[in-house]
Amino acid sequence: MTESRPAAQPERSWKYYTKPEWIEVRGLPTAYRRGGRGEPVVYLHGAGLTRRWLPLFETMARTVDVIVPEHPGFGDTMLPPWLDGFDDLVVHYDELFDLLGLEAVHLVGHSIGGWLAAEYATFYPHRVNSLTLIAPLGLRVLDHPIRDIFRMTPEEAGPALFNGSAGPYAEFLSDGDEVETLVQGYSELTALGRLMWNPRYDVKLDRRLGRVTCPALVVAPDEDRIVPREHIGRWSELLPQARVETVAGTSASTGHLLIIQEPEKLGKIVTEFVTTTGPQGNR
Amino acid sequence: MSRQLEFYLFHNGAYRWAPHKDLIGEWSRSNFVSLPTSFYKPEYALRAMDEWLETNILAEKLGYDGVVVGEQHNGPIGLSGNPMVITSWLAANTERLLIAAVGPLLNAYLSPLRLAEEIAIVDILSRGRLILGLPMGIGGQYHSVGVMDPTHARTRFREAHDLMFKAMTEPGPFEWQGDYFHVPYVNLWPRPLQQPHPPVWIPAAGSRETLQLCARRRYTYQSVLTPRSTLSRNCVLFRELCAEEGYETAPEQIAYVVIVHVAETDRQARLEAEPHVMWLYQNFFRSTFQDSFPPGHVSIASLRGMAAGGGYRSRDISEMTWEELWDEGWIVAGSPSTVVERLEELTDEFGAGRIVMIPDMGSAPSWMVKKNLTLCAEEVLPRFRAPGAGPVWAREDRRAPTTWAQWAAAGGEPKATPEARVEGDGVLDVRTAHVQELREPTRE
Repeated sequence: MTESRPAAQPERSWKYYTKPEWIEVRGLPTAYRRGGRGEPVVYLHGAGLTRRWLPLFETMARTVDVIVPEHPGFGDTMLPPWLDGFDDLVVHYDELFDLLGLEAVHLVGHSIGGWLAAEYATFYPHRVNSLTLIAPLGLRVLDHPIRDIFRMTPEEAGPALFNGSAGPYAEFLSDGDEVETLVQGYSELTALGRLMWNPRYDVKLDRRLGRVTCPALVVAPDEDRIVPREHIGRWSELLPQARVETVAGTSASTGHLLIIQEPEKLGKIVTEFVTTTGPQGNR
Repeated sequence: MSRQLEFYLFHNGAYRWAPHKDLIGEWSRSNFVSLPTSFYKPEYALRAMDEWLETNILAEKLGYDGVVVGEQHNGPIGLSGNPMVITSWLAANTERLLIAAVGPLLNAYLSPLRLAEEIAIVDILSRGRLILGLPMGIGGQYHSVGVMDPTHARTRFREAHDLMFKAMTEPGPFEWQGDYFHVPYVNLWPRPLQQPHPPVWIPAAGSRETLQLCARRRYTYQSVLTPRSTLSRNCVLFRELCAEEGYETAPEQIAYVVIVHVAETDRQARLEAEPHVMWLYQNFFRSTFQDSFPPGHVSIASLRGMAAGGGYRSRDISEMTWEELWDEGWIVAGSPSTVVERLEELTDEFGAGRIVMIPDMGSAPSWMVKKNLTLCAEEVLPRFRAPGAGPVWAREDRRAPTTWAQWAAAGGEPKATPEARVEGDGVLDVRTAHVQELREPTRE
């Protein structure tokens, strides 16, 4: 069901908030942010950290055209009744790319955004020039399940996402008003549940990833307490042209949210990979 | 006597040998979902189950109207993974008592038709004594079972409900083409004994949608642990919704769930009950927000209401005192006259005609439960019944016939003749074919 938002919203004064642009994708107004020039790079976000233009995007926008849409049910894009799995998102994004006039794109996905990017690439391999998966979920690795994010309390989340050093990143974790932060978090978790409550992996990726013809980069943090390291190795086995890169922390070890811990380093690695691969990556 | 009340026992069958909330963090955040099975000792589980079942059986001898059996998973808060299994045992071990399965979680079943079959079986085994309760299932269950998706909980529940009742009440076979279930041949055998189906109770926190379902289908609304003011509001709304459907709510349509403990004096009741009540509130109901409200289990509107109205965080039920629990109407304990008075007051407030009484407080020993139940049966129940009246099941025997002689008299002719083709003799009526002179072909 589409949840309506209150008419009067508290002012959005949290850090890195920018006003989104809107595009209507077959009846669904979809929020997105865009900046920079060069190769078109679509960044598919994870759960949370939406409604922001993050420093990582700013870094990337120095060399490429960064497009950051908000998935149905996340950020300012409403949860539509039809959202029930990653296939619905794949089709949604295929239509969005058409509307934006993007014939082929570089896909960068973090966390569940990585899972989504991989799914898209298996369905439409010819539209993907390169695939960058940052701490991605999506695979079944026996005996190394991902952490149960649905039961995680706020007290557990900090240490799990930042390897014990949540304090410095508090400004990223609040959407202003306390009630709004709770409601937004629960809404997005509900959308996430639609995608991956059960099972929390897609066993079909094991076979389908063989269809991905473009170069792929799998990025891992020092220590990921959400997605065990074994998953990184499995991705690189399954993707035909994959390379693994670890982004080490400058002052502390990087965790699942390396995107806000090391935006400079990570942005540089991603844009270098994108520009090196260029527009013919899928050929 | 101001009103008549029916009394149903709801013994949870908890496994009470679990660590206290102050200590449990070492192993699990609460008793829901993930307390390790290393705390499980088979001897104690056997004991808990035995006490629980024995209490239910005793209810008949003591004269209660019925018993209620719930469904719990993955932890010590109840050893009743499947109420249909427990109620089938109760059907075989009691004669007259009403048996309520409140209830099987529709969303824990891969197909509601499996549940329809189980309902029919227990209804037949009990000769039509089954009451069917259909809870949505508390949040914790959705983390545990593996087939329950909270983001589809409400829509799937509604479709499963509609399919199940259509299967029980309309002729089969028919095809069901739903969003969640596509069943080419819905064809329910066996079918429930009670027509059109067993009475239905729905436990609900009070969403308008659920109360509307109860009003429309004339179901009984069963309260859950909500603040007294919320329950009062729910009951008012429920009566309004019944009026919109064109009828006045029967008192039996509101079942009020409450801990009842009766002793010789008020002081004695508190001495006996307080430690166990505190055990229950500190250990049994305590849960995190994430466990209680898995994604989609609560609507955004309700969540906003909860957060704005002081919210779930303003009230940690594991910190509540005896007085607070009393004021909230979550416990009624005292001498028989105190209990009678308080139950009158609360049921008047809610307009409830049924009490679902928790007699064990989760951790009370069997002897104390029996003492409570005996005193309550002898000193309280008669005050809510017409002089000399027994429980509802003793006033009128509504059970289906229990003997073969009665069936033979009542059954009439079957819809088909059991026949077989026997070589050399043609098609025979197998009921008489073993007698030479009756071995005549039934047709060409």
